[in-house]
Formats: sequence, C-alpha cells, structure tokens
Amino acid sequence: MAETLQNLALGFSVALQPSVLLYAFVGCVIGTLVGVLPGVGPLAGISLLLPATFGLTATNAIVMLAGIYYGAMYGGSTTSILMRIPGEAASVMTCIDGYAMARKGRAGAALAIAAIGSFVAGTVSVIALMLLAPPLASFALRFGPPEYFALLLLGLLVLAYMSGGSMAKSLVMAVLGLLLGMVGIDQMSGYFRFAYGLVELGDGLGVVPIAVGLFGIAEVLATAGQEVPPTVLKPKLRELLPSRAEWRDSVMPIGRGTGLGFLIGIIPGSAHIISSFVSYAVERRLSRHPEEFGKGAVAGVAGPESANNSATSGAFVPMLALGVPSGPIPAVMLAALMVHGVSPGPLLITQQPELFWGFIASMYVGNLMLLALNLPMVGIFVNVLRIPYSLLYPSIIMFCVVGVYAVNGSVVDVWIALIMGALGYILRKLGFETAPIVLGAVLAPMIELALRQSLAMSDGRYSIFVSRPISGTLLAFGAALVLFNLVSWVVRGLDWRRRIPLDEKGENL
Amino acid sequence: MTRLRLILPLLALAALVAGVPIQPAVAQEPYPSRPISLVVPFPPGGVADLTARPVAAAVEKALKQPVGVVNKTGAAGAVGMQFVATSKPDGYTLLLALSSISIIPEADKLFGRPPAFTVDQFAPVALISADPTILAVRTESAWKTAKEFIEDAKKRPNQISYSSSGIYGTLHMAMELLSHGAGIKLRHVPYAGAGPALTALLGGHVDALASGPSVVLPQIKAGKLRALAGWGDKRVASLPDIPTFKELGYPEAEFYIWAGLFAPKGTPEPVLAKLREAARAGVADPEFKAAMDRLQTPIAFKQGEEFRKFFEADARRLADGVRKVGRVEQK
Repeated sequence: MAETLQNLALGFSVALQPSVLLYAFVGCVIGTLVGVLPGVGPLAGISLLLPATFGLTATNAIVMLAGIYYGAMYGGSTTSILMRIPGEAASVMTCIDGYAMARKGRAGAALAIAAIGSFVAGTVSVIALMLLAPPLASFALRFGPPEYFALLLLGLLVLAYMSGGSMAKSLVMAVLGLLLGMVGIDQMSGYFRFAYGLVELGDGLGVVPIAVGLFGIAEVLATAGQEVPPTVLKPKLRELLPSRAEWRDSVMPIGRGTGLGFLIGIIPGSAHIISSFVSYAVERRLSRHPEEFGKGAVAGVAGPESANNSATSGAFVPMLALGVPSGPIPAVMLAALMVHGVSPGPLLITQQPELFWGFIASMYVGNLMLLALNLPMVGIFVNVLRIPYSLLYPSIIMFCVVGVYAVNGSVVDVWIALIMGALGYILRKLGFETAPIVLGAVLAPMIELALRQSLAMSDGRYSIFVSRPISGTLLAFGAALVLFNLVSWVVRGLDWRRRIPLDEKGENL
Repeated sequence: MTRLRLILPLLALAALVAGVPIQPAVAQEPYPSRPISLVVPFPPGGVADLTARPVAAAVEKALKQPVGVVNKTGAAGAVGMQFVATSKPDGYTLLLALSSISIIPEADKLFGRPPAFTVDQFAPVALISADPTILAVRTESAWKTAKEFIEDAKKRPNQISYSSSGIYGTLHMAMELLSHGAGIKLRHVPYAGAGPALTALLGGHVDALASGPSVVLPQIKAGKLRALAGWGDKRVASLPDIPTFKELGYPEAEFYIWAGLFAPKGTPEPVLAKLREAARAGVADPEFKAAMDRLQTPIAFKQGEEFRKFFEADARRLADGVRKVGRVEQK
C-alpha cells in the first residue's frame, strides 16, 4: 500500500506538471465535444486526433487521448437527454429515460445525475485500475471465445428486460437488430453477406449510423408528424438540481453501474456499449418500480451513464498491464505509445513508471476537470430546449448527417442513417421500441464470431462451452435466470409486465 | 417534405467535401504544383497509418509540396485501394498499401465476386519497409524449436491451433504458406485484427501465432512468449538467435508484412520518376529513420524494377496461397 501511495505521488508529480494538466484539459474538452456531437464518438475523435499527438511527448499524448475517451462518456449523455439523439453509441440507453425526464421538465436533474454518476464511476474505477490492474489483466485474458459467447448470450437474455411494452414486440425488434448485424464480410469464411456489390457494406452496418438514424432522425420525423406541436420547455434555474428523491434513487444504480461497467470493461470487446445496456437491464430488474422505466426513471440514467464511464477505465486494464488492446480505442492508444517509442507490453508499468502512474493520476485530475466542466454546463445546455423547433430540428438533422459522415467519410453511412431514420419512424408509429434493434446489431457480429471461433477451437464440439469453468458458470447462471423467471411466471400466473399498459403513446409518439 | 428538401443540399455538401482533393490539373504545370494526398486504406493507428505519416512528412520535404494522409477505410482495405485504383493518374493521389493488396483481388476471384480492383491497376513506386513474420508460442508450451513444433504438428494433424488477424489476412497467409511448405495441417481460428489475435495467444485460447516482430517483441522480452522461427530470407535483427524457415529447409515459408507506395496505373513516367526520387530521398531522411526506429520497423527500400520484381513475386506467392487455402466449406 505504501508503495502504491509512493507511486501515486510520483504520478501526481507528473500529472500536475502544467503541460500535462493542459493536455488533460484539452483532451477532456475535445472528449466532451466529441461526445456531444451525434455520430462522432470517442473512436472517431481519437483516430482523427492521433496524428496531432505525434509531436507531443508520450505522456502528454496518452493523457490527452485518454481524456477524449472518458470525456466522450460525459458528453454523450447531453444530446441523449435533451434531444433523444445518442451522442455516442454507449449513450443509447440514456435516450430512453433521460429524454423522458427532459419531457417532464427534469432535464437539468438528468444531466446533473449523468455528470455526477460519470464522476463517481470514473474516480472509483481509476482506483480499481490502479490497485488491481495486473491481477485483473490475467483474469481478462482467460476470457476466450467460449467465455465471451456465454457472456453475450446472457446479454441476449437481458434484451427481454429492455423494453417497457410487450415482450414479443421487443424480441421482434431484437431479432431485426440481429439481422442487421449480419450484413458484411463473414469473418470466418470471407463471404460477403447482403452487400449487393457495395464494397462499403463489407464492414457491415455501423452502430453509429443505425443509432443516429433510429433515435435522432426518427425523433425529428415523429415530432414533426404530431398534430399539436410540442411545447417549448422553459427550464427554470431551481429545477436544474436533482431532488432529494432523485438522489436517493440514483445512489445504488451509480454504485452498481460502476462495478458492472468496470468488470465488463476489462473483457476484450466493445465493452462500454454493452456495459450501458446491461446496467439498464439490471436496474430495471432490481427496481421496485420497473413500470417507471421508459417514462423517466432516474435510475435508467444513473446506471448506464456510470457504467459506460467505468468501462473506459476497465478497458485500460489489459492495455496498460499487458500491452494488448481490449477494443478498437485502446488499440489506437497503443499505437500512439508505439509512435513515441514506448513499446507497450507486460513490462510497461515497471519500465515506464512515470508514464503509467502519471496516466493514472491524470485520470483523477481529468475526472475532476470534467465534473467542473459539465456541471455548470447543465445550465447552458438545458437552454437548447428553449430553441423553437423550426430551428432546432433542422439543425439536429444537419448534425446527425455531418456526424455520421465524419466517422468514416462515407456517404453510404449517411444513407444508412437516413434509411434507419425512416424505419425508426415507421416502427414508432406502430408502437415498437427501437433500442433492442441497436443492441441486436451490436451483439450479432460479436456473438456469431465468438460462437464460431469457439467451435473452430474445439473442432466443432459444443462441449467446449460447458467444460470451461468461466463459460460453464455463466451459462448455468443464464439457465437459472430463465428457469427462475419461468417458475415465478407459472406460480404468479402473471408477470409484472402485464400490469404495465401496452401502449406507451404519451411522449413516444 | 421540408425535411427532405433540407437533407438533399446537405448530402450535396457532404459529397462536395468528399470530392475536394480531386481538382482538374492544368496540363502544362510542372509536377508537383499542388498538395498531394496519400491514401491509407486502414484506420489511424494501424501499421499502414503509422508508416504513412513519416513517409508523407519525408516525401513532403523532397517534393516541396504538402502531402496529406487520408485514411479511407473499409472492407479490410478494399475501399481505399479501389478509390486509388480508379483515381486520376496524375500523381496527386497516391496509395500506401500493405501486402494485402495482392490478397484482396485473389480472394474476390475465389468467391466469384467482381473484384474491387486488380493489382495491375497500380504502378508500384517504392517499397518502404518489409518485416518478416515470426512464429510465436507461449513460453510454457512444450515446443522449444520450430523443428519440434513441425514434428508435433505432423503427429497431430489439425490439433495445434493458431490465431490470425482474419481469414485471408496477412497472418493467416503466413501460416498457410508454412503449412503447405512443411506438409502440416494446423487449426485456424480467425480474429478481428492482429491485436485480438495476440490476446488469444497470450490467454491460451490458441497455441501459436505468426506475427510482425514489433508486436510480439515486448511479450518475448517479458518472458510471456517464445519465438521459434521467422519467415524472412534473413534473420530478424532484433532476434539474432531465431532461425528462418528457409534455413530449416522450408523455402516456401517466405512472407513479409511490407508497406509500399503506389500510384494509379497510367501515371506519366516523369511523374513516377519524380516520386521514386522523392521516396529515395525520403527514406534517407534522419527524421524518417528515427520514426521508423521507434516503430521497430526496418526500412527496406526498393524502387523501380527491383520493387516491381519483389511485388510480382510476392503477389504470385500470395495468390498461390489463397488458392491453396481455397474456399472455406459452408456447412
């Protein structure tokens, strides 16, 4: 412990240098912007800015890029809450209850809870990263394809709890999402699926255009189609702060989101997106008022927003402790280290203590900066709601199109977003929720790859899933969950979902 | 309706932004008289991108015109390569490609797809770097030498597994060339990229991996992985004790992850000559050398006829490799 404190002191001596502070701040500001802009997420932001860091020192570069990554998780909630547009893919869940809160005049509270939840999650997870990185990293490595498959299967079960309406409808949407996720090169055989001769479809339909289309564009279309235009909200200053009840309802979700996010973040994959979905489902399952979800439950904002922040720290565990990427974003950051002649690997922590501990310390500082940056901004951001819709909505469409285009510079992506916008509009008119589509599209390629990799490993024997301890345990847990629900369904005859009115017209249409 | 009217001009705007680098050149003006874009068909942070940036900086110095790196990604590089293949051959749109440039059209052919591009749509300018792959296994594995590995693989066909960066990817092809050369059969588990492939080896989910030296070197130094042999015609400088497969009697197992500079076919010879000269001056630049040193990627400069021969031999080897692997049976 004394050694850790000593190292941390070394870290702060690095992190509090004016230049490091400056780059951490720049990273946090850019990250917040990247998060706020729909479409452009942390991966695009970091990729675009990577060349700009080549002239910096290794520490400055990595501190700035990390700031963009976790800063984006703060910013991502803003447009989700105010306009129902996910600022980046991990904020899709926040769209549901965050936006519902905004329609009830609680936008300020939602934004504040999101910022505070992010801060708590960011800070606690850095402590975990600092203390547990090496042992956790070797645990993360034990997650091979079979374990990943079992975990994702649990994720699919989670789908059933995602929507407020009928379970059949949300499962239909999840299947549609899984189908959309099938487009693109089959990773195991090299065949193109549903690409129709378009080379751009080789990589499949991106999560970003799907999410921006289904949420942002569809929202604009749906609002324009209302007979009575929505009233322009005039948030009052004293309504900005969360109420006592909202605080009470947020404490546990923030704690659980932090823990869940960190654990899921460690596992290689697009963790921050999945962590927010899982956290939402868990909160809904544990809530005493599950019927509130979808109608502005503060737990539905606090949990996922904490989870996605915590997952970013988790993602740094394998990267810093072993030099292996846990996803595309850490991969770019590893490249940034290599450009500076720092070879990332298991020896990084011992050979480059200034870099590692400076990085850790900068994350404490960065999270403080982001809190200081985001809380006062709440008062400014809610004013977006005062803008008349005739001006606000065209600008939203513009930001959606520009944001989606900016990610890959691909017009095909813009078309995907527009088509998804039209689809989302129709589905909402028919009373379907669109969040399960996004989760399905995220999960499909991963779950398929993990399944087929596992079978390639075992030469086609399915026993690999039960004979390995971690995947066996996860699958047993999943089976128990299904069984438990079946039993309670039979015993009680009725599920709580039945008590919820099926139509969620109100603010959704 | 008003929304549609709004979207269309925005789309036009987006298209305009995409088309900016291509402007009609005036016939008489000396080359180069305006900025050049160097297309990298992979995302920032990958091998190609990290090589392209110092190349662009060095060539910029030699040509005295700005050289901008443009990441045009998608479909494992096919999108960017196709873009350059169909660009105007005026020397203002160049490509930095990796070995996979020869694999993609061959895989397209295998599946009966209209190819996104063919290798003869490019004029090779210069080879920048070439790094042979290294066979790596975990330190606690039983194989101490490549000989033991191959003998064991002969005894247990389809039992030893390896990870790769993706099907028909560079790391897959390297292993397949070895398998055919040594007459062994290994079990292939493709991953989505070289990073996950390395993670899988470290985690014990596969038994072996062919990888670029710079990626596995830190793991070898930390005692996690052991190198058995290399695919080069010479030993890797940073691993002088590790033999090549050629030395061990498997000359078919020759493979490099290389990066080369290309122009669209039809680029006028004087322009190509200028580019070659700029590339030669560029790789001699001390700053460029320092940058490549940090990436632990050895410079392997070849130009003109020499590069063409290397490229063609490599393309033949890889095309042959793809055909031998054939289509994966759909079960």
